[in-house]
Amino acid sequence: MPPAYVPPMPCDTSTEVKSDVNSSEHHRPSVYELRGVSKTYSLGGGQVHAVKAVDVTIDEGDAVAIVGPSGSGKTTLLQLLGGLDRPTAGSVLFEGKDMAAMRDGELSELRLNRVGFVFQQFNLIPTLTAAENVEAALAPAGKRASERRETAHRLLGSVGLGARVDHLPSKLSGGEQQRVAIARALANEPHVLLADEPTGNLDTETGAEILELLMSLSGQRRTVIVVTHDAEIAARAHRIIRMRDGRIQDSEGAAVADAAVA
Amino acid sequence: MFYVTYMLAELRRRLGRTILTALGLGIGVALVVTVTALSNGLDRAQAQVLEPLTGVGTDMSVTRPIDFSSTGDGGFPQLPEDERRQLQQENGGGRFGLRNLGNPGEKFSRDNFVSTAQLSFAASRVKEIDALDGVQAAAGGLTLNSLHVEGTVPEDQPQPGQFGPGSGGGPPDNIDVTSISVSGVDQTVKELGAITPGQIARGRYFGSGDARQAILNESYGSREGLGIGDTIELAGETFSVIGIAETPLGGQSSDAYVKLSQLQELSDRKGRVNTVYVRAESADDVASVAALIEKTIDGASVTTASDLAERVSGTLVDAKNLAGKLGTALMAVGLLAAFLIASLLTLSSVTKRIRELGTLKALGWSQRLVVRQVTGESLLQGLLGGAVGVLLGLAGAAAITAFAPSLQATVSSAAGQGPSFFPGPGPFGQGAVEETASEVALGAPVSLALVLAAVGLALFGGLVAGAVGSLRASRLRPADALRHID
Repeated sequence: MPPAYVPPMPCDTSTEVKSDVNSSEHHRPSVYELRGVSKTYSLGGGQVHAVKAVDVTIDEGDAVAIVGPSGSGKTTLLQLLGGLDRPTAGSVLFEGKDMAAMRDGELSELRLNRVGFVFQQFNLIPTLTAAENVEAALAPAGKRASERRETAHRLLGSVGLGARVDHLPSKLSGGEQQRVAIARALANEPHVLLADEPTGNLDTETGAEILELLMSLSGQRRTVIVVTHDAEIAARAHRIIRMRDGRIQDSEGAAVADAAVA
Repeated sequence: MFYVTYMLAELRRRLGRTILTALGLGIGVALVVTVTALSNGLDRAQAQVLEPLTGVGTDMSVTRPIDFSSTGDGGFPQLPEDERRQLQQENGGGRFGLRNLGNPGEKFSRDNFVSTAQLSFAASRVKEIDALDGVQAAAGGLTLNSLHVEGTVPEDQPQPGQFGPGSGGGPPDNIDVTSISVSGVDQTVKELGAITPGQIARGRYFGSGDARQAILNESYGSREGLGIGDTIELAGETFSVIGIAETPLGGQSSDAYVKLSQLQELSDRKGRVNTVYVRAESADDVASVAALIEKTIDGASVTTASDLAERVSGTLVDAKNLAGKLGTALMAVGLLAAFLIASLLTLSSVTKRIRELGTLKALGWSQRLVVRQVTGESLLQGLLGGAVGVLLGLAGAAAITAFAPSLQATVSSAAGQGPSFFPGPGPFGQGAVEETASEVALGAPVSLALVLAAVGLALFGGLVAGAVGSLRASRLRPADALRHID
């Protein structure tokens, strides 16, 4: 288990970027419980079994790395956790509720308020400024314009971009764009932060900074789950879930006992 | 506000596509504006041609055409005795034999008022018509030909020695016949009648006193070299010219206009009129009022403005037909193409933004919000297209007004009006009825309603395009959308 880490970056405020609380003690409530989860796609007339009968439990406040080679099903697993997709079989319980039984509207609500996403390609809206990109996550929550602006500026400040709020993504470096994406993911104070290869498009140094920032966000009630094939990233997580061919190969760290090895 | 900022930002980002879509919609809408304006212009041109026939502000005119099939023994057998006598007197008056004028070689001068095609009726009928349901106003009028004959009684009288309406020959060489068509106007009902104050080009309309005043038609005045302050003679009475009326398009006008009561007196037709100008309370009432009048007044023939429209021919009508058929087809094809272009471009735009829309869903945007965003962008696009369309349409309409050739309109005389040896009263109680061709300048007026309709159409186009794009967007599964490679 890596030690708690305070990121070495010029944060305006530390309210969003928290130092980790060690969560190795057990019996924290679980945020996810996956039981026999499978996901099969139809592709070119054939069937692709992206995720096969996965059983895993992830605790609240954990920093989890899902690792594995390309095509091992880790991104699909992340999308199932984020309610972006529905499993073909099995159930995904989020805070005790079965996501498979949720209607589309409920899943949107869940993604809006409980889950934040960070993508490898940053996925910022190119026509909107950094602050407006953060507001894009606040607007559906019905927050007033002034409140949205204030929150966006505060969050961007907390990731070290206080001076870049009015910049378009095209005027920001890769690392800065990913910080905007992280600020956006944190907009509605989600319980879970899901990151898909967040450093995949960044140089080593910037990648390390982003990683440290992400890892520092776990703790208290917030769970951070990062999909990566970078061993260094994985080493910083509290827990590593290794995947191969759609199955969990092994799981090490705090909740090893909960991870089913398929 | 955030959503609008986002919509505008998107339109700015895809400026080329935005301009292309706006132009596509704009051209479709411009076609509608231009063709509709052209069609309005043609309608207006036709109304201009018909205006002198209908009388300004007149919806219909009531006359009593001679029924030649029933003028046998004694004539007008269907009418009461006194009415029959009156009509025989009026219409018999047009004939006179040279043998009655005096001894051969003697000078003579006679004035007569004749009406050839219409019978008169009692002026009290005007009040009856005025009282009918759906009639807003009615005014009587009397249009006659003042026939002045002077010369020397010939030595060798022709047999049967008469001429006049219905005779086969013309007057002998040593006899001068001058004819002038005159309309009596009820000046107490200014807005209805053979002439209204609006048609006065120079001078003024009739005053209220008893002075003998005349208003001349512009073409008659210039032909005879008469102007304001000059006088004309009618049946030996002198009338001073107080006004000149525009020569109406279609050329169907009387040469001179005098007060109705004075013409009635001069022509020995006191209390008689031969045309009633009627205005209906609403345009929708015209047909029912016309039917009611025909039922109420014996032998009445009601001519409505739309009856007259059918008698216009020439390039004006060709243009109207063309605008009606080709123009409508052009509009339909243009709009369809515009909507199709806008839809395809929106669809392509949505396809290019699949990952972005997927990201929005990942951020917690509901299906409804994503659809609203795409539709909103299309509507803004439609608004822009509407603005472009209105501008292009106005330019098109202005070009038509500036460069279109003038059109020719021919108004034929009313069918079944009977022979017209002398120029007789026209369909709306006016003078000459010969077929006359008029040149009408073609314009393409654009009204505010048309502009609003055009913007509405463009918005509808935007909505259609938005619906197509939204359908695509709403079918996106977030996971697939995020996997999409832009």
